[in-house]
Amino acid sequence: MSGTKPDILWAPHQVDRFVVCDSELSLYHVESTVNSELKAGSLRLSEDSAATLLSINSDTPYMKCVAWYLNYDPECLLAVGQANGRVVLTSLGQDHNSKFKDLIGKEFVPKHARQCNTLAWNPLDSNWLAAGLDKHRADFSVLIWDICSKYTPDIVPMEKVRLSAGENETTLLVTKPLYELGQNDACLSLCWLPRDQKLLLAGMHRNLAIFDLRNTSQKMFVNTKAVQGVTVDPYFHDRVASFYEGQVAIWDLRKFEKPVLTLTEQPKPLTKVAWCPTRTGLLATLTRDSNIIRLYDMQHTPTPIGDETEPTIIERSVQPCDNYIASFAWHPTSQNRMIVVTPNRTMSDFTVFERISLAWSPITSLMWACGRHLYECAEEENDNSLEKDIATKMRLRALSRYGLDTEQVWRNHILAGNEDPQLKSLWYTLHFMKQYTEDMDQKSPGNKGSLVYAGIKSIVKSSLGMVESSRHNWSGLDKQSDTQNLNEERILALQLCGWIKKGTDVDVGPFLNSLVQEGEWERAAAVALFNLDIRRAIQILNEGASSEKGDLNLNVVAMALSGYTDEKNSLWREMCSTLRLQLNNPYLCVMFAFLTSETGSYDGVLYENKVAVRDRVAFACKFLSDSQLNRYIEKLTNEMKEAGNLEGILLTGLTKDGVDLMESYVDRTGDVQTASYCMLQGSPLDVLKDERVQYWIENYRNLLDAWRFWHKRAEFDIHRSKLDPSSKPLAQVFVSCNFCGKSISYSCSTVPHQGRGFSQYGVSGSPTKSKVTSCPGCRKPLPRCALCLINMGTPVSSCPGGSKSDEKVDLSKDKKLAQFNNWFTWCHNCRHGGHAGHMLSWFRDHAECPVSACTCKCMQLDTTGNLVPAETVQP
Amino acid sequence: MELHILEHRVRVLSLARPGLWLYTHPLIKLLFLPRRSRCKFFSLTETPEDYTLMVDEEGFKELPPSEFLQVAEATWLVLNVSSHSGAAVQAAGVTKIARSVIAPLAEHHVSVLMLSTYQTDFILVREQDLSVVIHTLSQEFDIYREVGGEPVPVARDDSSNGFPRSQHGPSPTVHPIQSPQNRFCVLTLDPETLPAIATTLIDVLFYSYSAPKEAASGGTGPSSITFFAFSLIEGYISIVMDAETQKKFPSDLLLTSSSGELWRMVRIGGQPLGFGA
Repeated sequence: MSGTKPDILWAPHQVDRFVVCDSELSLYHVESTVNSELKAGSLRLSEDSAATLLSINSDTPYMKCVAWYLNYDPECLLAVGQANGRVVLTSLGQDHNSKFKDLIGKEFVPKHARQCNTLAWNPLDSNWLAAGLDKHRADFSVLIWDICSKYTPDIVPMEKVRLSAGENETTLLVTKPLYELGQNDACLSLCWLPRDQKLLLAGMHRNLAIFDLRNTSQKMFVNTKAVQGVTVDPYFHDRVASFYEGQVAIWDLRKFEKPVLTLTEQPKPLTKVAWCPTRTGLLATLTRDSNIIRLYDMQHTPTPIGDETEPTIIERSVQPCDNYIASFAWHPTSQNRMIVVTPNRTMSDFTVFERISLAWSPITSLMWACGRHLYECAEEENDNSLEKDIATKMRLRALSRYGLDTEQVWRNHILAGNEDPQLKSLWYTLHFMKQYTEDMDQKSPGNKGSLVYAGIKSIVKSSLGMVESSRHNWSGLDKQSDTQNLNEERILALQLCGWIKKGTDVDVGPFLNSLVQEGEWERAAAVALFNLDIRRAIQILNEGASSEKGDLNLNVVAMALSGYTDEKNSLWREMCSTLRLQLNNPYLCVMFAFLTSETGSYDGVLYENKVAVRDRVAFACKFLSDSQLNRYIEKLTNEMKEAGNLEGILLTGLTKDGVDLMESYVDRTGDVQTASYCMLQGSPLDVLKDERVQYWIENYRNLLDAWRFWHKRAEFDIHRSKLDPSSKPLAQVFVSCNFCGKSISYSCSTVPHQGRGFSQYGVSGSPTKSKVTSCPGCRKPLPRCALCLINMGTPVSSCPGGSKSDEKVDLSKDKKLAQFNNWFTWCHNCRHGGHAGHMLSWFRDHAECPVSACTCKCMQLDTTGNLVPAETVQP
Repeated sequence: MELHILEHRVRVLSLARPGLWLYTHPLIKLLFLPRRSRCKFFSLTETPEDYTLMVDEEGFKELPPSEFLQVAEATWLVLNVSSHSGAAVQAAGVTKIARSVIAPLAEHHVSVLMLSTYQTDFILVREQDLSVVIHTLSQEFDIYREVGGEPVPVARDDSSNGFPRSQHGPSPTVHPIQSPQNRFCVLTLDPETLPAIATTLIDVLFYSYSAPKEAASGGTGPSSITFFAFSLIEGYISIVMDAETQKKFPSDLLLTSSSGELWRMVRIGGQPLGFGA
């Protein structure tokens, strides 16, 4: 306001008006220009607002500070602090209500003239005006004036002297302030504390002081340099900001000894610091010669925690205009809106855009907040064409106990939803591997069992170098097939492919029957054909054509098939080799490819990607020579690894190759669930030690925790520890006897049949029925349950106290000692406890400890205690 | 009561009137462009004998040495008494300071300089006397030393540590006094309006000297005495000048008490302070 640098303030109540003050006061009116043209004489403030000058007041020279009267009435009353320390009441506009007329022009004069630095209207008593003055040797620097006790001009207080000499208009001079504070000091900034009408915070010469007008001889103060621009957070009345040069200090009045934090120092001195009145914890700061306003967001840290921790703040900048900013003012009611004024009095009206915070819950719902709005991203329910996200799939699969069927391993693909052919292939592969490992182990223990899990690639490799079995190329459809000539490894490979059952039986008949049953006629026909049984193939196709779901065209295919001839240059061969490419079904296609193939060249079958890997591999095992087979398997393996195709597990097995393949699968899909369960099947091979596998497993566990599937997590851990005993966690909690100090579960571990899951957590009672209520070490009694008052170690009988009857049933349903209800449980704070079941039912209705004299809020100390596992709330 | 040892390190100089022309430029710079010189403590007092300058080290750099400029060897530290110690609000006027600060220091043979302004009183002590000052005054004052603008409490030294507390009463000293007839006013000024009175101020300070008129009759003192004091300390301006001189200034810019009180001077000794003979 020093003539060159304008200040700006919004009217506290008429929210479309503001005043710019430099050498004079100019009142503006803000209008929206969204639907209208800019009026003549209006100044554009932003894209959709403009200001019109309403009036100018130049009655008060040497203005140092201005404060707008806070009451509704009169609206345009302003207090102006002058360079000589006088405070003048002045008004803008036509609002000359006679009731307040004699307030206008009233002057409040200090004893000794010096600059008035700051003014502050009391927010509770609207007639109180505090003025902060520069230092004078013996005078006071904080003067509190009562502008008029009752608005009644008739009662003129004694101190008010009408001076007429030398002046034409009579001026009402007031020389006696209501309160005088801060003797022999300077006051640089002031603000009233909203807590009490009589508390005033002042930035004095070298300290911040809180004056209590109820006892003016007392004050609270703290020595500091940061005495400029004190301002109270409107949303948190104990938080105050002040500044000195480039540094802002944030104070907590309850802990006034030092700032709770200081903001990053700016290279240039600050000129204004203001809390946003419409948003909690947002502080705007402005430095000299700058075109940006820096914002500090402290909304998430309403209270300082502990002694030395500084609350986190988010700093950002806004640039409302290109010019340097002289001053700014937050709008009193519009959210985050402010107006800025530049030294040449151009103004700009803008709104600080709120930061958007985004939250993505573990169950894929998405929310974001902006300002006071909360948005939720809703998935469109009816849109089934889109594939579900893998996280959703994994969650549903976890709920359907996917991966946990260790007997009928293949069934896991049905648990997974029976929609992914790769998963189907994977679980069948794992099923066969498990089956034949057991089979092998029975036949020749410790021999080839591990080879099975190493995949067909290793199996085929192991047969290399052995005598090349006589391998005739297929030359006709004679049923004296050469399967008899297959060596043991190839038979094993065919078994893993699922073509033949275990045992020595090499007949594909049962497999064909199962395929036909599932309606896979084309595949069944192809497999029959590859086993050189063209008659059966035709028969299967006919069967398919006549069935309800089948395709009538299968008859046509069967017809074409029946025309097969050995003749190399026949018309049939020519037509089939060209027209087969138009067949949609890959199996029908490869059938003709096979029949029309040149001797020893089966690329049309082997590289038909739409045909299942297991069928192609089985085909290769039947028709390729050892070296050809090896090359083919090698090539296919690499292809599978690259693509992350789970069908390839058949080839790689659960080896390092398999982990590589799984890695690209996880990279592609993110499905750590399948990866974890699949790799666990491979135990006790080395793959489990692979850090990638451990990483998948840990991630899957974290995922289950994040979904609050704690029971699923526990199930997974149990499953895991069965397959990988090294992953079994060590006991983490022990119950020790009060008397001898030994673990009371010590003896449990010596009794093998007590159940691992029970003793492993070390919280069991003694297993021997005779002395369950005493320490197995010293035979002294175990502590009593705080609720039933019976010694621990006894089974929970019934629920004590007036609990609901259904809980009683619930608790006493199973009296087995290992039931969770019988477990020891206790509060880590007050050390009271008892039977887990009793405690659970107690804390369902109470927050406090059940022990009568204890006031410990045990349940509230447990942050997860009130969370409900998500499985129980699932539909 | 609190005693603040401020950060200024002040040199005291005496400028002989004939050498004034040599120093007009640096003095104007110190007066009107304090940001340029970064001088935060500047006081210029015109007496019948000389111009006395108190400037901090930044300001001292601006003044070239010459035969007209006498510089006191010591560096002086500035003390300021303030009374906002939370208890009852007390005035800390010169009398109070004389009793509680100057007299105890005199007992310990510590010389002080005193500078009063419109805003407050400063007591200047030699830097080498600081330990004695702290020891002497720590009984009565909470002493703070300003470091980087922040007051840091100075540890109270309760042991006598070789400085026996003076037991004998104040020793009386007799000084000749004189009281000239002219009246003075104590004023201040908004630093932003300083340019508005710059020409008048330059005129009064540098171009209006006239030899003092001797008293017509042998009264208690001369009819008037040349005295003009200007200080610019930490941004605050304080001026003490003859009421007649004040008439040269525009009336609306200089600020003083609403009562418009005027002061008489009582001159003690009349000898230059520690300089010259």
